[in-house]
Amino acid sequence: MSIDFEFRKLVMDFHQGSDLIKYCYQCSRCADNCPVTKVSADFYGTTGYNPRNNILNALLGYKDLIFTEDELIIWGCTVCDTCDEVCPQDIELTEIFTFLKNQSIEQGKGPEFIYSQAKAIFDSAKAIPSQPAIERRREQMGLPAIVIPDVNELQTLLKNIGAAKKLK
Amino acid sequence: MTEFKMFEGCTIGNRIPFIEAASRKVFEKVGIETSQAAFSCCPDPTGMKSFDNNAWLTIGAMNLCLAEAEGKDIISLCNGCTNTLRGVQHQLKHDSLKKEKVNKELAKIGKEFKGTIDVKHFVDVLQEHLDKVKGSITKPLNGLKVACHPGCHYMRPAEWMESDDPMRPETLKKLVAASGATVVDYDELVLCCGSAVTNAYEEHGLANLKNKLDSIKNAGADIICVNCPACFQQFDTRQRDLSKKYEKEYDIPVLYITELYALAMGYSADEIGLKFHRTRLKSILEKYGL
Ligand code: SF4
Ligand code: SF4
Repeated sequence: MSIDFEFRKLVMDFHQGSDLIKYCYQCSRCADNCPVTKVSADFYGTTGYNPRNNILNALLGYKDLIFTEDELIIWGCTVCDTCDEVCPQDIELTEIFTFLKNQSIEQGKGPEFIYSQAKAIFDSAKAIPSQPAIERRREQMGLPAIVIPDVNELQTLLKNIGAAKKLK
Repeated sequence: MTEFKMFEGCTIGNRIPFIEAASRKVFEKVGIETSQAAFSCCPDPTGMKSFDNNAWLTIGAMNLCLAEAEGKDIISLCNGCTNTLRGVQHQLKHDSLKKEKVNKELAKIGKEFKGTIDVKHFVDVLQEHLDKVKGSITKPLNGLKVACHPGCHYMRPAEWMESDDPMRPETLKKLVAASGATVVDYDELVLCCGSAVTNAYEEHGLANLKNKLDSIKNAGADIICVNCPACFQQFDTRQRDLSKKYEKEYDIPVLYITELYALAMGYSADEIGLKFHRTRLKSILEKYGL
């Protein structure tokens, strides 16, 4: 186990203007209120998903403890934003977790549905592309047709940002 | 009368349009005017944001630009879209570095984010029109026992969602009560539906869903009322998986608040496409003469 200072800097830099993460005193309010910890972890938090561990390891730069074989460590979070709300130190935990997830994607890891959604958005500008059957149903229900977004503009943005090359 | 730009979102627009149909009918009764725009995916605050935060910010800003160009506020039918659009706006307004970076990219497609419009969740707009709502109710849903589920992204993070309360929300309950129905309280009101984690780890997602639904069942609710399509789908399509996994019956019907209103405003189940729901509504509708 070693400290990765570069990773640590990225964590601290991610949320511009807010370095509240350094005030984490491991009180565990986040884990106590996390719905996924509740259904996946044992009493001591040694198994399953645990936001408190992630904050500790991110702050200390223990990159190896976060990015392991077990992707549940990062991707178990269901983004309910409860931890942010209950944290007595006002740490925006989910922003840090967004950074960890983005890093996991950089490494080509992460769950399949994240990639398939990103691909659908790249291809059609919608997470759920339109289908003839649904278009008919819209018409039958008296709904106007969906106005088609500019896919080219969106693709230009995603390519320039460097997001397009992470697609699978 | 102010006109909003309608942000129906990918899930409602392209998968469960019957919710849009009910919403448009209710808006018409209440006098909420909308028009369309060529919006792309918001994009998803649990999906695209996790994939690439910069992409999330930039596409979100691109959508805001479309409404800015017309000088109109956005009304969103979805918690996720509202959360993204308000979140992007909040972050860009409070972080000039991010704003500069995003605008540099937007300039390449001839756009600029300015932050001149507001994004509203439709529940908050309905709340502002509560008198009109009450005046449009012709079939009060007296006796119907409703468990409310406002959903995480409607109320958190508090900094940018600015709902009535991030942990004890009341707005949806007030809206339901206005229909004449009875709101039943339950312990797990603010518990997440678990949509995102179910996609990645079904086992944990279903265990969470069980916690939620057991609490709703114990409270004796006839139906669950929601204001988010992701929550809607989680409850409407995954109760069957839950029954199978835990060998216990889970089949509590789910209604969008605008579907509930449409019924209370005299529309028939057929007119708003309730037959497209997976959970069975028939016995409840019969029981309350709807
Ligand atoms: S609730 Fe906040 S301070 Fe407490 S352990 Fe979690 S992140 Fe640290
Ligand atoms: S946002 Fe993620 S880590 Fe925080 S409480 Fe919700 S599921 Fe747990």
